[in-house]
Amino acid sequence: MFGPKVKLDKALYEKIKMYSHIAGYSSVEEFVHHALEKEIKQFEGAESEEEIRQKLKGLGYIS
Amino acid sequence: MRSLYYRLRFGRPIVLVSGLPRSGTSMLMQMLEKGGMPIVTDKIRSPDEDNPKGYHEFERIKEIDKTTDKSWLKDYRGQVIKTISFLLQDLPLDLNYRVIFMRRNIDEVLRSQNKMLDRGGTGGALVPDEKMRHNYEFHLKKVYYRLAHTPNFRVLYLDYPAVVADPLAAAKSIDAFLGRNLNVEAMAGAVESSLYRNRQTPAARHA
Repeated sequence: MFGPKVKLDKALYEKIKMYSHIAGYSSVEEFVHHALEKEIKQFEGAESEEEIRQKLKGLGYIS
Repeated sequence: MRSLYYRLRFGRPIVLVSGLPRSGTSMLMQMLEKGGMPIVTDKIRSPDEDNPKGYHEFERIKEIDKTTDKSWLKDYRGQVIKTISFLLQDLPLDLNYRVIFMRRNIDEVLRSQNKMLDRGGTGGALVPDEKMRHNYEFHLKKVYYRLAHTPNFRVLYLDYPAVVADPLAAAKSIDAFLGRNLNVEAMAGAVESSLYRNRQTPAARHA
């Protein structure tokens, strides 16, 4: 609740407000939180990390 | 000022030689050893065709992502440990680090890694090079971000071809970074340009 704040432009905020309501989220914050977590998951790419791990293991650089 | 604060809080820094495997980290270890830095290595991995002068590795650091007790690292303040870039994220942040990070063309790194895998008989590259290049590029972006935004780290970036081309200049920059009055001539002497293999041709580099 007292965490960092992010500024959004009004038009985007209104869209988020509408879609979070339609999708059944309890609040705009919950929707934004969920959307961002989903996006970050893509970047953290468990698959690519695992591919690097396997390669490095094969090369003997990690145990 | 920040560096002095971290020095006072966490003590003498551990020197890490880092980068992707096959980017010239072993060569950097040899330079530091010749220059007079205490090197941490258990010599379990012996020299071979891929690294004729040895790997200078320390098995314990290779497991740092799987262990919770990392307090043993404190015993190596002021010494040099080779730590591949993938493991930097697992280092404890109650210590101070000076990182010498070697950068090398990713295609050259991949070629060298694939040769090593072929020789080792572990089946070669399972993931296509194009995918691995993308993986490494993204991995390095994350590493650079973390190093720049984590105050425990101070970093010196070196480019492998530049070190091979002018080892004395590289040795001097390392010495200035560490402030240890190292033997820079001996450091430069540790670089053997004949070991710069798998290099990308100028045509391929500009393709």
